[in-house]
Amino acid sequence: MKGIFSVLVENKDGVLSGISGLFARRGYNIDSLAVGETDKHDVSSMTIVSTGDERTIDQIEKQLNKKPDVIKVRRLEESRAVELEMMMIKVSYSATNRASLIELCSVMGAKIMHVTMKYMIIELAKEPETLDEFVMLCKPYGILEVQRTGTIAMSKK
Amino acid sequence: MNGAEAMVQCLLEEGVNTIFGIPGVAIAPFYEAMYENQDKITHILVRQEQAAGHAASGYARISGKPGVCVASSGPGATNLITALATAYADSIPIIAITGQVASTLLGRDVFQEADMRGATESFVKYSYLVRNVNDIPQIFREAFYIANTGRKGPVLIDIPCDIQKLTLKKEFSYPKSVDIRGYKPNTKGNRQQMEKVIESINKAKKPLICVGGGVILGQAQKEVRSFCEKFRIPMVSTMMGIGVMPKKHPLYFGMLGNNGKPYANKAVAGSDLLIIVGARVADRAVPKPDELERKVSVIHIDIDSAEIGKNMGPTLPLVGDAKDIFAQLLEADIQIDTSGWLTQLEEVKKTTVDHRVFSDRLVNPMTFVKTLSDKMDKDAIYVADVGQNQLWSADNYIMKEGRFLTTGGMGTMGYSIPASIGARFAAPDRQIVTVCGDGAFQMSMYELGTIAVAKLPMKIIVVKNRYLGLVREHQEKVYEGHYFGTQLEDYPRYDSLAKAYDMQYFEAWSNEELDGTLDAFLKADGAALMVVNIDSANNTK
Repeated sequence: MKGIFSVLVENKDGVLSGISGLFARRGYNIDSLAVGETDKHDVSSMTIVSTGDERTIDQIEKQLNKKPDVIKVRRLEESRAVELEMMMIKVSYSATNRASLIELCSVMGAKIMHVTMKYMIIELAKEPETLDEFVMLCKPYGILEVQRTGTIAMSKK
Repeated sequence: MNGAEAMVQCLLEEGVNTIFGIPGVAIAPFYEAMYENQDKITHILVRQEQAAGHAASGYARISGKPGVCVASSGPGATNLITALATAYADSIPIIAITGQVASTLLGRDVFQEADMRGATESFVKYSYLVRNVNDIPQIFREAFYIANTGRKGPVLIDIPCDIQKLTLKKEFSYPKSVDIRGYKPNTKGNRQQMEKVIESINKAKKPLICVGGGVILGQAQKEVRSFCEKFRIPMVSTMMGIGVMPKKHPLYFGMLGNNGKPYANKAVAGSDLLIIVGARVADRAVPKPDELERKVSVIHIDIDSAEIGKNMGPTLPLVGDAKDIFAQLLEADIQIDTSGWLTQLEEVKKTTVDHRVFSDRLVNPMTFVKTLSDKMDKDAIYVADVGQNQLWSADNYIMKEGRFLTTGGMGTMGYSIPASIGARFAAPDRQIVTVCGDGAFQMSMYELGTIAVAKLPMKIIVVKNRYLGLVREHQEKVYEGHYFGTQLEDYPRYDSLAKAYDMQYFEAWSNEELDGTLDAFLKADGAALMVVNIDSANNTK
């Protein structure tokens, strides 16, 4: 199962390595990890997406809670949270398929950030699953590079 | 006041009167401040930093206060890591203070620089790298608080040598309270969960309590024991839980697990409600947790919520402080009749045959532990090392009202001698006997120097079988007797070693000699070393 954790942590050195170290040594997966400051300069927010069985996801929450630098852990249910991830993707094109690529971007709500004679850099900010689909759809054109930020999520409540 | 003086002042504020360590240049300012305060805090110079950590552990376990160990930067600090890992696995509160290279040189790989925060990340409850001298009082206050509350454990304070020399901006003031927003240990059991626990105890026909080291760390022995006595609920324990109940108590059914009493395991298997308190449910105590949870209802009580459900899915979790919870349970409306269950367990105990045979060639190890326990004071502290000696000790020691110290969590060989030294400073008037094998002894024998200089009347027994016995046993059973890399032979010459450190020396070669030699050994003035020779063919099971 998928576990989405919204974690508020002290904004100081060593905290990120402590959290990623916890995942590494206990063998928990990190599917994605996004970190940034919140409106309070001394608090950072992390969104960690992980997969595992129920017991593992439960343990992750408890182990995170044990860390004194972790202020709050919230486990977000997918149905009750909004998720967003940003991606930049560099896709090659030719004269014959250029129009269809532009159309694809328009249908998917993606923005073309940069264009050269051979490729475009496209930006897309959506739920992670939509990003996966977009990557698939771009494959036939030829993907040169992909950069994703990792998921950020927020409870709807 | 400079940083180093502030560090010493913090220790005084925390009521610390003994620390264990080895100086070096990176921690020299602190030692200079200690020089001025040596009448208030005793510094015990150990011979290797790992021993400082184990000594702090022994001190903490007996005093109930965090033990303090000190090392210099680089190798001095990294030598502490095994002791930190040991204290972490055993949940022992210790404060490790390590010197660090100057803050201006951090990260440049200069002489004796080691990233201690990074290196100890998975072995400490929390760690600090001090970057501002003015933070010292706050950091020390927090460190002691974190180490000794909730699930206890080691906390590291790494402090660059230049910071130790800087002057504090304001007059020293020690924070009265601690408020760490991410650290609020939950001690009171949830009321609803408590009610469910009481309900399920009332429904049980064959309840059994399994106590771990957490009961002792939470100083809840009295409450848990009274609970068992009031409602006639039998008890088994893990290795770390030995001592919650005297061994001969009619409600005590021994240590469970791989190395425990077979009848204790039968009690677990036969119960319909297992109440686990302050135990990790690790592999040595419960080899097949999945199987057990299918058969038995489990109430798991622990101060660390992450322990509950980690290795076994409990039917009923209860997070909180054992002392607090059992004080409440003692007053609860519980009406159960366990007389049939107790009779059944008595029968199991009587009819479970111990198939092990110990060799009477040389000294019989079982006879040795039993004879020794008979001779020990009621409140004595028995410190067992790791290996066969530990398992024989755990199995045969007749616990009265004293303590049994060993590292059941990490199993660090060489623990017993430095831990005994620490225990000695926490309880100068109690009888302490250290029991180790000849392998473990040699991992800490350098500490005889510490004992000699501090004139400590330590009583150390080496159970000598000329092998790394437990590995030898494993090689015999699993690898067809291919003994390899486990022979210790006849070295060191223990009599010469005792002489070198001004210790009295005793040796027993037979069961007949044992009694008189042990008497003389225990009565000896000052430090004494005794070798108990046993046949290497003896196994633990």
